[in-house]
Amino acid sequence: MIKKLVTGLMGVFIALLLGAVLMLLQGYNPLETYAALFQFSLLRPTPLATTLKNSVPLVLTGLSASIAFASGAINLGQPGQLLMGALAATLGGIYLDLPAPILIPVLLLLGMLGGALWAGLAALLRLAFNMNEFIVTLMLNMIADLFTAWAIAFPFMEKGANSPRTPPVNPAGWIPEIGGINLSVVIMLVAVAVSWFLFNKWKAGYEWRIGGQNSLFARLGGCNTNKNFTAVMLTTGALAGLAGCLIILAGPHRFLRGLGANYAWDGIMVAIVANNGIIATLLYGIFFAAIQTGALGMELVTNVPSEISLVLQAVLVLVIVASRGLLETIVDRWSLRKRVRGPAT
Amino acid sequence: MTDLITMRNMVKIFPPNVTALDHVSVAFRKGEIHSIVGENGAGKSTLMKVLYGLVPPNEGAITYEGQPVRFHNPGEAIARGIGMVHQEILLIPEYTVWENIVLGMEPVLSLGRVDREKSRRLVKEKVDEFQFNLDPDALVSDISVAARQKVEILKLLYRNVSVLILDEPTAVLTPQEIPQLFAELHRLGDNGHTILFVSHRLDEVLDLSDRITIMRRGKKVDTVAVGTTSKEDLARMMIGREVIFTSRRIPKQTGEKVFQIEALNFKSPEGRDLLKNINLEVRTGEIVGIAGVEGNGQFELVNTIMGLSEPSSGKISVQGEEITHASILERRRLLAFVPQDRGRMGAAINASIMENASMTHHLLDPAFTRWKGLLMNFRFAGQFTEELQKLFSVNMSSKDAPFKSLSGGNQQKVILGRELLLPNPFVLLDQPTRGLDVGSIEYVHEQILRMRSEDRAVMLISADLEEIFLLADRILVLNRGTLAGERRVEETTVEEIGLLMLQGREEPA
Repeated sequence: MIKKLVTGLMGVFIALLLGAVLMLLQGYNPLETYAALFQFSLLRPTPLATTLKNSVPLVLTGLSASIAFASGAINLGQPGQLLMGALAATLGGIYLDLPAPILIPVLLLLGMLGGALWAGLAALLRLAFNMNEFIVTLMLNMIADLFTAWAIAFPFMEKGANSPRTPPVNPAGWIPEIGGINLSVVIMLVAVAVSWFLFNKWKAGYEWRIGGQNSLFARLGGCNTNKNFTAVMLTTGALAGLAGCLIILAGPHRFLRGLGANYAWDGIMVAIVANNGIIATLLYGIFFAAIQTGALGMELVTNVPSEISLVLQAVLVLVIVASRGLLETIVDRWSLRKRVRGPAT
Repeated sequence: MTDLITMRNMVKIFPPNVTALDHVSVAFRKGEIHSIVGENGAGKSTLMKVLYGLVPPNEGAITYEGQPVRFHNPGEAIARGIGMVHQEILLIPEYTVWENIVLGMEPVLSLGRVDREKSRRLVKEKVDEFQFNLDPDALVSDISVAARQKVEILKLLYRNVSVLILDEPTAVLTPQEIPQLFAELHRLGDNGHTILFVSHRLDEVLDLSDRITIMRRGKKVDTVAVGTTSKEDLARMMIGREVIFTSRRIPKQTGEKVFQIEALNFKSPEGRDLLKNINLEVRTGEIVGIAGVEGNGQFELVNTIMGLSEPSSGKISVQGEEITHASILERRRLLAFVPQDRGRMGAAINASIMENASMTHHLLDPAFTRWKGLLMNFRFAGQFTEELQKLFSVNMSSKDAPFKSLSGGNQQKVILGRELLLPNPFVLLDQPTRGLDVGSIEYVHEQILRMRSEDRAVMLISADLEEIFLLADRILVLNRGTLAGERRVEETTVEEIGLLMLQGREEPA
C-alpha cells in the first residue's frame, strides 16, 4: 500500500517535471503555470468543489473499467453505458412526478439500470454465441451514440429548441449542492466505498479477482465463471450508467447533444493509469479532473493555452504506466538496503 | 595448495525478499575441479553469477589471485580470465565453429578485414591442444548439442580464460556424451585450468570433481574432498535429512469401490477417438497409477473427469453418484484434484497464498464465509492458511505474500494442502511432481501414501514409471486413448509396463 503510494507520487512528480521541461521549451514559466493550474483546481475552495464535481464521471467510469479489467472482463463499453444511463435517467426525470427524496434515488437506479442493461446485452451475446465482449462493447458504443442522438432529436426533443436536446428534468430530480459541494460527489464516494467493499470483502469479489487472474483455475475450483462474468458486466455497466445519470442530474439537467462523450474514454485511461486499483482510480480520477478543471482558470491568468492540460495528461499516462515496474523495483531496493544494513543480518 | 579465488560472506537478496545467498564463504584452489551441488533454488547458480559479474551482490568480498576484485559485468571477468558457460547455448547456427569462436576477438588484417587463415589456425591449435573432438569448419547448425557446448568452452579458452564456470552442462547431454565431456574437463584441469562445475546430479559430481561444495537454501553446508564422502552423505547434506530411495508402501486391504468409469468414449471434433471404451475403478485405500507416454489420452481423461469437456458417451461416478454431466462444483464436493500445471490450473500466481489456499473451500465450507455466504471470512481463511502451512511445512514469509513468491516445491505444497484438506473421498493427481526438485518430490510422495493410509481412493497419472512403481498398487497403461493393460504392481516389471506403454494392447495369445 505504502509502496504503491510512493511509486505513484514519484511517477506524478517525474511527469510534472517533464511537463515543466516542455513548458520551458515553449517559453512559459512552469512554476507560474503550475501555481495557476492548481490554484484553479485544488487549492481554493470554490475551484476544489468544481474539480470534485468534474471528477464524478471520470472516477465512476474509471471504476467501471478497473473492476471489469481486474475481473477479466474486457468491458470497453463505458461510453455507451454512460449514454444509455444518462438517457434512462433523463426520461425518468421528465415523465416522473415524485417528491425529491424519492425521485432522486429512483433516477439513480434508472441510470444504473440503463447502463447495466446495455452491458448485459454484451454479456448475453458472449454467453449465447461466444461473441467477444471486447468487440461487442465497442460496437455497442456506436449504437448507443447514434440511438441517443436520434432519441433527443426526434421523439424526446424539446419543442421549439434550436438544437437536439430534451426538455429539462423535473427540478425535484436535480441533485442539490450542500455547502457548495454537489451531492453527486458524495454519491460517487459512496459508490467507490461500496465497490471497494464488494471487490475486496465479498465472496463474489474474491471470485471475480481470482477469475480475472486465472479463469481456468477459478473454474476448476468450482466457481461459476459464467455467472461471475455476467455479474461483473452488469455491475460495471451500472457504474458507467450512474456516471451518465449524475452528469445529467448535477449539471445541465437535460440531455444535450454530445454530452459527456469523452468522460468515459478518460475514465478508461484513469483505470489504466491506476493499474485497476479502486482507491488509485479515485485518486487519479480526481487528479486528472484537477488538471482539466485548472487548465481553464490557468488560461485566464497566464498566456499558456489550456491545451497544455492535454499534453500534461499524455505525459502523466506515459510516465506512470511506463515507469511503474521500474519505480517498484527501485522502491524495493531501497527497503532492501535498509534491511540488509540493519542489525539483524 | 593456495586459494585462487575466495568469496567471503556473500549475500544476495532478490527483491522483494528472496534470500538467494545467505553469507556464503567459499574458496576455490588453482587447478582443481570444484563442484557446487544443491537442490533447485539452493543458490548455486546465483553464487556463480555473482562471481562472474552477472549479478551484483548485496554484501561480501571476492579476492582473485590474492587481490580484491568486483566484476561489474562478464566482460571484466573474462578479461581477468574467468569465463562461464551457461545452460542455454548462444551461438550463430549459420556460422562455422571457428567463426563462432573468434567472433568479437578476430585477428584482423589491414582495413579491418578478418584474417581468416590465422583465425582458423588459432582455433585448430586450441582444438588440438585440448584434444577436443571437433571440426573447426563444421557449421554450428550441423553439430550436436554436446559439440555446441564444446564450442562455448573453446570460445572461453580462445580468450585465455583460466577459470571455467559450467552451469549444469550435463543437463542437455545424453548419457553417452557425458564421459567425453568429463575426459576433456579432466585434461583442462591437468593443464592448470580451474573448473567450477554446477550440478545437482550426485553420481556425476562424485565421478568428476576433486572437491564438492554443498549448498542448501542459500547457505553453504560444507566443502568436502571427494575421497571422504559418499552419495548418501551428499544427499543428506543437500536435503537436510535422509532421502528415501525405496518404496515404503505397506500392504493394505482395499475397501469399497469409490470411483468408477464405465465405457467412456471421447471423440475430437473431427471424430477421432481420443478416449475409447475406458473402464476402470478405484477403491478406498488404493492408489491406481495411470502409466503412459504423454499425449495418449491423459489430458482428455483429466478433462472429462473434472468436467472441462463432455464425454461422447459413458458414465463417471463417485460413491455411486453419477457425475458425468454434473457441474464442476458438484464434482468438487467429491473429488480433490492436483493438476500438473500449477500456474495454469492450480493457482492464480499473482493472488496471495491465502487466496489460493481458500479456493473451493470457500464454496464447500460455510466457515469460510459470513452473512449467508455473501461475505468472505478472511480471518478464518487466514487461520486455515497458517494451519495448512504447519501441516504441510510450507516455507513462506506471510500468508498475504503473492503465490508466485514461493518456490516450486512450496507452491505444490500449498496446492496439495488445499486439496487434501477437502474431505473428499477421491483424489485425482495429474503429474503431481512435475518440475519439482528431489526433496519436494519425496515430500509429495509421502503425502500421496498418506492419502492411501487415510483410506482415500487415489488415481495417479504420471509419465514417470519410477514414480508409479514407487506408489501405485495397481497400474493401468494408457496407449492411444485405450487402456492397454492392467497389472498389480507386485506381479509386473518396469520392462513389461514400458512395453505396454509403447506397443499398446498385448496380442491375444
